[in-house]
Amino acid sequence: MGSQAKDDFEYALKSNESWANYKSHQNPGLFEKLANGQSPKILWIGCSDSRVPETTILGLHPGDVFVHRNVANIISPTDINSQAVIEYAVVHLKVSHIVICGHSACGGCGAALSEARVGGVIDAWIAPLKALRKANAEELDAITDDKKRAIKLAEINVKSGVDALLSTYFIEEAVRERGLKVHGCVYDVACGRMTDLKCGNAGKKGVAGVKGEEEEKKVVKGNHGMLVFGGDGASISIR
Amino acid sequence: MSKYLRESQSKIFANNKAWVASKVAADPTFFKKLASGQQPDYLYIGCSDSRVPANEIMGLDAGEVFVHRNIANVVPNTDLNVMSVIEYAVVHLHVKHIIVCGHYNCGGIAAALSHSDMGLLNPWLRNIRDVYRLHEKELDEVFEKHGEEARGKKLVELNVLEQAKNVIKTAAVQKSWMENRYPVVHGWVFDLKDGLLNDLEIDFEAELQGIKKIYNLEGWMSRKGSVV
Repeated sequence: MGSQAKDDFEYALKSNESWANYKSHQNPGLFEKLANGQSPKILWIGCSDSRVPETTILGLHPGDVFVHRNVANIISPTDINSQAVIEYAVVHLKVSHIVICGHSACGGCGAALSEARVGGVIDAWIAPLKALRKANAEELDAITDDKKRAIKLAEINVKSGVDALLSTYFIEEAVRERGLKVHGCVYDVACGRMTDLKCGNAGKKGVAGVKGEEEEKKVVKGNHGMLVFGGDGASISIR
Repeated sequence: MSKYLRESQSKIFANNKAWVASKVAADPTFFKKLASGQQPDYLYIGCSDSRVPANEIMGLDAGEVFVHRNIANVVPNTDLNVMSVIEYAVVHLHVKHIIVCGHYNCGGIAAALSHSDMGLLNPWLRNIRDVYRLHEKELDEVFEKHGEEARGKKLVELNVLEQAKNVIKTAAVQKSWMENRYPVVHGWVFDLKDGLLNDLEIDFEAELQGIKKIYNLEGWMSRKGSVV
C-alpha cells in the first residue's frame, strides 16, 4: 500500500470528524433526532457515478433522501437489490416521491452504445440498456454527436425506469391510495443542473415551474450553508 | 396534500440551483473539470438509509466517491447489481479504497432480527440472517450478557465484516491487488448518535489470505478450460 493511499483514507476519516462537529454545532439536536428514526420524503434512484452525489446536488440534509445507486441507474423488475430498496421505501417508509435520475457522460450508457465487450459481469448488467439502444436505434443513430447520443440514451433509460416503477404492484397501490409521485430527471455533470423530464405521473406540466419566486427564495434561505472540503482542508460557506 | 407534494419537489430544484451557484462561485471551473471524467479514489458501499449520506459523512465533494447503497449494505455474491458496481469501480476506475459502511439503528438489521414475513424483502434479509448463523455463538453470548440492543449493534458490525469479506472474494479485487497493491477494503460503522465513523480496522491482507484457500480467483481460465 502506497503512503498516498493511506493518506486518502485518513483524510476521509478526518473529514468526517470535521463534518460531525460542524453539523452538531450548526444544529445541536440533529444527531439525537436522527438516532430516533428516519422519515425521508424522497427515494432517489441514481447512478453510482461519483459526480452525482444526490444529497449534495439536491442541497438536502441527512434524513431527507433514501438512496439506491447502481451502474447506470437501471431498474430491472427481477433485480432483488433495487426491488428491496424500493419496497422498503414505498411500503415501510411511505416516501412521497421517487426520483430516477440519469446523467450526461454516463459510463454505462457509453458502454451500451459501443460494440465492445466490457468483460466480467457488467455486460449482463447493462443488457437492458443494450435492448433500449436497439429498440430506439433510429432515433439514436440520427444523433451524430457521441455525447448527445449518450444523453439521449440516458433519457430513454430514465423513462423506461419510470415506466417499470409505475408497473410495479406496490407502487401502483401507493399511487392510487396516497398519491405517490414518480419523476424522471437527467443531471448534467457539465453544469451541475437537473432537468425534469416530466415523464412520470406528476403531470405533463411537472411541478418545478409552478411555484412563485417568493416561495422559492424562502426555501433556499432555510438551507443554512455548506461545508466545502478540498485541497488542504475544509471551508464553510454560509448563504 | 398536493400543495405539500409540489413544495417538496420544487425545493429540490431550488436547492440544486443554489448548490450550482455556490460551487461556481468557489471555483468557476468546477463543473468543467467534472465533465471531463471521474477519477474517484473511493468506492463506498453503504445503506440506503437517508440518515447516512455518503459524501456528507465523508466530507467529500462531487467526483470523489463512487457509491452503491442498498438495504443494510449487503454484498451478495449472486447479485449482479452490486457486483457490477464493484467491477466497474475496480477494473475501470481503479479506486484505491473500498469501504463497506454500516450504521447502528439499521432498519434492515432490525428486520432481519425480527421474525416476520416481509415478502420481497425476505430473500434480501436472508443474507443478514446468514451472517447471524456464521457468528451465532458470539451473538448469543452478547445477547445473554448485554441484552438485545448490544446484540443488534454487534450484528451491524459483523455484517460489515462479512460483507467486506464478500468484496474481497471477488475476482476484480483479488486480481487488482495482485497487480497494483490496491484497492484496500475497509469496514466502517456510522453512529447516528454523534455523526462519527468508526473504523472496524479490518486487516485487509490477513482477511485476503484467510479467504484464499477456498475463494482464490487470481488465476485465469483459459478457453480450453484449464487454469493458467
